Order: sequence, then C-alpha cells, then structure tokens
Amino acid sequence: MPLFKPEHRQLLKVLHPAREEEVSEVLSGLAAFMEEKISPLSPRFDSLAEKITSARKSLLENGICLIPYPSRYGGLELPFSAYTTAIELAGAADASVALSVAIHNTVADGIFLFGSEAQKKTYLPGIISGKKLASFSLTEPASGSDAKAVRTTARRVGREYVLNGTKMFITNAGEADLYFVLSATEKGPTSFIVEKSAPGLEFGEDLPKLGMRGSRTSEVRLTDCRTSAENLVGREGEGFEQVKTMLNSSRIVMGALCVGVAQVAYEKAVTYSKERRAFGGRISDFQLTREKIADMVTGISAARLLCLYASRLKEMGLEFSSEASQAKVFATETSVRVCDQAIQIFGGLGYTSEDVHRHWRDARLLTIGEGTSEVLRMLIASRELARSL
Amino acid sequence: MSTFDKNAVEESIRLKESSGGSVTIITVGRSDAKKTVKEALAMGGDRGYLVVVAAEPDPHDSLTTAYLLARAIERAGPFDLVLCAEGSSDVYAGQVGPMLSEWLALPFLGYVRKVEIKDRVIRCEQTLEESVRVLEAELPALVSVVSEINEPRYPTLLQIMQASKKPIEEVGSELLIDRRAPPRLVTTVGMTAHAMSRKRVIFEGGPEATSRKLVEALRSEGVLKR
Repeated sequence: MPLFKPEHRQLLKVLHPAREEEVSEVLSGLAAFMEEKISPLSPRFDSLAEKITSARKSLLENGICLIPYPSRYGGLELPFSAYTTAIELAGAADASVALSVAIHNTVADGIFLFGSEAQKKTYLPGIISGKKLASFSLTEPASGSDAKAVRTTARRVGREYVLNGTKMFITNAGEADLYFVLSATEKGPTSFIVEKSAPGLEFGEDLPKLGMRGSRTSEVRLTDCRTSAENLVGREGEGFEQVKTMLNSSRIVMGALCVGVAQVAYEKAVTYSKERRAFGGRISDFQLTREKIADMVTGISAARLLCLYASRLKEMGLEFSSEASQAKVFATETSVRVCDQAIQIFGGLGYTSEDVHRHWRDARLLTIGEGTSEVLRMLIASRELARSL
Repeated sequence: MSTFDKNAVEESIRLKESSGGSVTIITVGRSDAKKTVKEALAMGGDRGYLVVVAAEPDPHDSLTTAYLLARAIERAGPFDLVLCAEGSSDVYAGQVGPMLSEWLALPFLGYVRKVEIKDRVIRCEQTLEESVRVLEAELPALVSVVSEINEPRYPTLLQIMQASKKPIEEVGSELLIDRRAPPRLVTTVGMTAHAMSRKRVIFEGGPEATSRKLVEALRSEGVLKR
C-alpha cells in the first residue's frame, strides 16, 4: 500500500487549498523514498538485525526536517501540517526511525524559537539538513513530565557553564552530535546546547525496550560537563517555558507518528481478514470483524484530523496547547487500540508474529513518552476549566 | 515514470555531471504526464518538453510515439545525445528507441549497460547472451539503456520543490503531425492475461517410485525426450 494516500491529499487540500499541489508533490516524493529505503528494513530494525543509522541519515538528508523552516536556514517553508503528515508517513514506514527523527527535529524547533541568531546560524542548518544529529535531554530519573523538578545543575564559571546531573530515557543519546539539556540554575530551569565533544559528557548502555527497538535510548551523564556560555538558550530561568512550548509541537508530531503506526497495522489486518477463511467464509465477512475494521479506521481518521487541526492552529499563530495534548492522548491511545485489534484479527498469528505485534509494541511507548496520557489529561482539563471560568 | 525510463534519466544526469551540458526531458502523453516530466526534472533535468495528446496513446503504436518524439526533439533545439529506456514497463515492445533513431537519422546503440563519452565519441557496452560487445559512434547518437546501467537517484524534497520552477514547454501533438507522419499501422484490439492451467497430478508412493512415475509422465507429455 502506498504511504501517501488520497485522504492525505484531500486533507491538505482542505487545509491549504493554494499549496496542496506543491505539498502533495513533496510528500509523495518523500513517501516513494521511504517505501524503497525505509519500510523494507523495518522488521530488521525491530529485531535488531540492523541499525537505523544509515536509513535515518538518508531520510534526514532527503530533507524531511527542512519542511517547516524558513529558507534562510535551508528550510522549505512549507506548512507545519505538511511536516506533521511527513512524520505520520515516516511512522508508517518505521516507527523507530520516525521517533529518532522527530525528537531530533524538536531540538531544531527549540533553537529556532528560542536560540539567538548566532545559535540559529551555527546549529539550525546542520540539524535540519541532517548533517548533525540532535537529542532532547529533558527527562531525569526523578522527573519526567514534571520538568520543573529538574535536578541537573548548571553553574556559571567564567565564560562557561558547568553542568552536573543525569538524564534518563534519552532518545538518540550517544549517537547525537548535539544535546539540548534542561538544567537548573539559581534562576530556575535553563536550557543549554551541549556538543558531544564536551568534556564530562558520557552515555549509558542502550536500554532494551518493549518496542521502538531501532531507536537508541540511554542515560546521558553530565559530570562537571562544560559548555560555553554562548550555548545558553535564551536567558537563565526561561527553560521551563521553552520546553513546554517545544513539547506542545512535539506532542502533535508524536500523535501523528502513532497515526502512521496505526495505519500500517490496520492495513495488514484488513488484508489478512480478506484472506483468512473460517467456517466456510472469509473472516472479513463476519460482523464482529467488520465492527473492528470500522472502529479502527474511524479512530485513525479522527486521530489524524486532531493532529492536523492542532497543526493548523499552530500555523495560524493561535493557542494550541490543549489541542496538541488532545491530539497526542487521542492518537497514541487510538494507535495502541488499533494495533491491539490488529493482533486480535490475526489471532494466534498476531500474537506470535513479530511483524504484527511490533506495531503494538511501538505504539505503546507514546502513551508514556513526551508527556504521559495522565499528565496530558491534567493539562487539558486545567486549560479547559480555565477557559470556562 | 517507468523504472526503465528512470535509468535513462539517471544516466543523462550522470553524463551532465561528468561532462557538462544540459538535460531536456521529453515525453508524449496526456496533460497529466506533466507530473512525470516534473519527476525527471527533480532528479536533475534542466527543462521539460511535453507532447500533449488528446487521448491516451495506444501503447502498441510505437511508430506514432517515436515520430512525435522525433519531431519534439528537433523542435527542442540542438542536441548531442538522445537517451531512452530499452522498453516501456507496460508493454515492453522495445521499438521506440530503434524507430526514433531512424526518424532522427542517428546511429543506434541499443541495450547498453555502460556509457562513456570522450572527444565527441560515445563508447558503450552492450550485454549479449554470453558476451559483452563494445560499440563506438560519433555524436550525435541515440542510446537505449538497460536497468543494470545504474541505480536511479531519489530526488531530495528541496529538488522536488525546485523542479516546479523549471520550465516545461507543452505542445499539442496535432502541431507535430505533418506530411511525413506515418500512418497508424498497429491498433490494440484487446489484451488478456495468458491462461495458465495445471494438471494437478499427485503421485503416491515412496521417493523412488514417485520419481520414476514423474519422469514417465514428463516423457509422455513430451517435456523430456527419451
């Protein structure tokens, strides 16, 4: 099945009637590239038979991260919803590659939104063109979604900052050239760019995971790690607001990634339901299978629409934090449910075949990572209650 | 775009990168074939030329296709080399290349797997059944390539966007049909899949007995000679 589908084109037409043709050409080119270079390797990434390194590099060099950025940094200046769709397609091609790329580009977003012009010129073109890989180092052993409780410290010493602490569950750790690190200064949470070559920067072992096995996840240890004061992002104490904003966009993207995962599991289940025969007929003829298929596709369409709605609000410069959280909660939980139903349709084969249950294992991460469903529900409720007052 | 055509486009871009010059992408099709021209421009072509036909061309009418391409090539301006695929991926008649060389009065170097150009001489390797033939010709010439010649590149997203800004000239096929145009000699009257049937014979017994029965059956069918 092609990754870029008529429904993507239709939605882009609704969102951006004047640019639909241009965006569709770019996304169908991207899809053709991924169908050939990424999708066939996806089972091998899951079974750890092959590393994602070279596929990820080729995808980055193809330009996926250039999509939403201005041309002065080498970007394509296309709408954010085109990028959201690109990550959905990448999620369908391979969830681990998509996760690694999306987290990488969250760092680009942070530098673009909050970095100085010098930082943007130094780092942004390299990150979005894939010459440098980036890692968003936020979570700690004792603080995840609760970013205000950051324990990693940063102390100014002359023209440098000295960082101490441990970051946990960090995607791209050890592989990335740049680390966007949240640390606490006297004025509060503060963001820094730390280069891989910085003294005192070390990485833990690659953590074994239920899914998303192709993407590397490990500790980032900072022991008297020095970074230039020029690498302070914004001002001291602004870090919490910065990461909150970065996470809002990232949550839309993670939702979209899960839509892609759900889409591929759904397509496999539909194909199988038309082939598998029982009681003298195809299982797709049974009402209970049909109910599953109807619910799966309805969930996928609704999740995709929520992600694109939040993307459009962001493009228009409107408030979108609640919608981004809604998109992530709904899309990730829908994805887990759709992948679970796909296993059910496959029956015993679904439980034993890596190529079916890996989608459920991949999707399962994202009701936790980038804000748990529980924390996001808290944010949504707070926002909505504040609105209604 | 057919995968064979992608090989021809890729080779033309490689030649441009190594020897200079420019690449013009030319095709015959309905107006939506512009999308295909754009694809080739994204790969690295410099300009496009689309001969627009009112109805989908008959895939077996190679003579008309070759004639329209020949007239389009002449109108597109001076050239040194015409590259095309060994055949199309739908009917794979493999006739357009040789016919085109006749219309343009060019030497035809067909089914080549390697191309080199030096001092206006083109040198190609042609794969035969059990050997490789090396051919040379002076430019201008026409070459048809086989799929093993290269691995076509995927355009980057930036190149896809830039392709939209490259010029594509469209010309109606009626403007290219003149007195010299060939009559239509071939019309597709129908296409059906080849019917396959199996005999579904099962031989019972141990390995020795069943293999003997198999050989006997193959002999009686005339598959094996006694």
